[in-house]
Amino acid sequence: MEKMLGNKRVIALYTLPALLVFTVVVFYPILQTFYKSFFEWDGLTEAVFTGLDNYKELFTDDLFYESMKNGIIFAVILVVFQMGLATLLMFALMNNKVPFKRFFRSSFFIPVVLSITVVCQLWSAIYDPEFGLLNNLFAALGLSYRQNWLSDLNWAIVAVAFVNVWQFTGYQFTIMYSGAKSIPEDYLEAARIDGATNMQINLRILLPMLKDTYRMCFVFAITGGLNAFAHMNLLTKGGPGTATYTLTYMTFRSAFTVGEYGYGCTSAVILVLQCLLATFLINKLFSFKED
Amino acid sequence: MKRKVSDYIVIALLVLFSVICIYPLLYLLFYSLKTNNEIFFTNPFGPTMNPQFDNYVRAVNAFDLPVYFRNSILVTLVSVFGILVLALPFAYATTRMTWKLKNAAVNYLTLGLFIPTQVIIIPLAILVKKLHIANTYFALIIPYIAFNLAFTSMVISTSFRSLPKEMEESAFLDGASVTKTFLHIMVPLVKPAISTALIFAFLNIWNEYTLASILISKPAVKTLPIGLSSFVGQHSTDWGAMGACFVISSIPTIAIYLIFSEQVEKALTIGGAVKG
Repeated sequence: MEKMLGNKRVIALYTLPALLVFTVVVFYPILQTFYKSFFEWDGLTEAVFTGLDNYKELFTDDLFYESMKNGIIFAVILVVFQMGLATLLMFALMNNKVPFKRFFRSSFFIPVVLSITVVCQLWSAIYDPEFGLLNNLFAALGLSYRQNWLSDLNWAIVAVAFVNVWQFTGYQFTIMYSGAKSIPEDYLEAARIDGATNMQINLRILLPMLKDTYRMCFVFAITGGLNAFAHMNLLTKGGPGTATYTLTYMTFRSAFTVGEYGYGCTSAVILVLQCLLATFLINKLFSFKED
Repeated sequence: MKRKVSDYIVIALLVLFSVICIYPLLYLLFYSLKTNNEIFFTNPFGPTMNPQFDNYVRAVNAFDLPVYFRNSILVTLVSVFGILVLALPFAYATTRMTWKLKNAAVNYLTLGLFIPTQVIIIPLAILVKKLHIANTYFALIIPYIAFNLAFTSMVISTSFRSLPKEMEESAFLDGASVTKTFLHIMVPLVKPAISTALIFAFLNIWNEYTLASILISKPAVKTLPIGLSSFVGQHSTDWGAMGACFVISSIPTIAIYLIFSEQVEKALTIGGAVKG
């Protein structure tokens, strides 16, 4: 038995292909991103080592601060609205008196499985200043609140973030709901017998018991916001001007539009450090609460 | 079961939110059957009385939709197959077999769950060029396999770990080799986990946009998410047919979710447990 399952040749055959592919396609490129962030490099000719020059340039680049700010705005909107809504939906579906649960769950999740291209096309129609659903809805409600959502300097990033909220609230909801469903029914039943109201059960039992689930939802929402790229690429191309740039958009533009590959790697390094820091802080925060 | 007023308010809010989730899709379905005049002026938001099925005929004939659809199917199926071939033995060797470095190997691969694709996109684009696979299917298939290995092997590992030791013991006593035991006895026992993981990978890859938008520029190898986004500029005058393209390209993932919703939701929970 031990000899069979300790067979070195079989182990190598089973694991090396996966490890090799992962190393070449994911791990080696991560090292490259860090390494090349210290170089002036156009992606074609020999890279020239320039030490910390790229970082100095980045920290004096107004676009960098704008991109950081947008990433943070995006992350905050996801935390407040996506997680907030998902939490309310989870509370509602944990209520035993709510019928058609399967239908509700499916309808919340369907936007998640759509292609981002379809979603963005749909929302640029909805946001259209003249023909769009949103402005017409405001008009129908008697509000003269016409907006050119995606080309307004201040609103554009919010409008883009809300497309993400719409698409992925169902994702966060499904994670929270599955977590809540795995709590033994006895706990909830005992509280009900003691006369606890639904809200008391939600706040005093569900939320504390879903601590690990929420930690993960925070990681998804915050790193998702900091990483945002596809929605702006499809809806605004980073515009108007640079009003919806994020760090990923900066990386993308530096490398593939203006050909500054080294500088692009620098913003990618800051992005990964930001995500790791956020994950670390979330984990710290959640373990602190325990005692 | 007696409902209070507050319960009805909760139900009403749930209905409202499901309308917010579903109506944009109906709006898309409606406009895929309308003329431009209806979409913009006469009937922008309701269903049409006079459906233009011709929009669907144009979507298939005049646009490159069939090409993109074929590319998406090809890239997704080959990637999913590749993921299975690499992740399944890896999951077996790291859960059932005994060797010193197995935890290190698992942790190393788990890194893949925490690295945003965007961070490695520049070196990856260079690598694709160096391997002379730029603008081929492999420019997408190889990264898709690599990025999904961690998650897939994690889901399958959970299932392998729950099997009793006796499964292998009796097979070995009967004189079966490790590979034979793995393929004929162990793999069939984790089939549910395999399908969960692969359905999840299928949905991710079918909709993948960021990598494809950077690594592919040749129309003949574009997948649906980037192919459709290039329509938007080219054919922006023919809204009805464009809507039809969007509807057609959404059918596979919606169908898969509706058929396999249990598995998709299960994959989310397992995935979450590790990422947290």
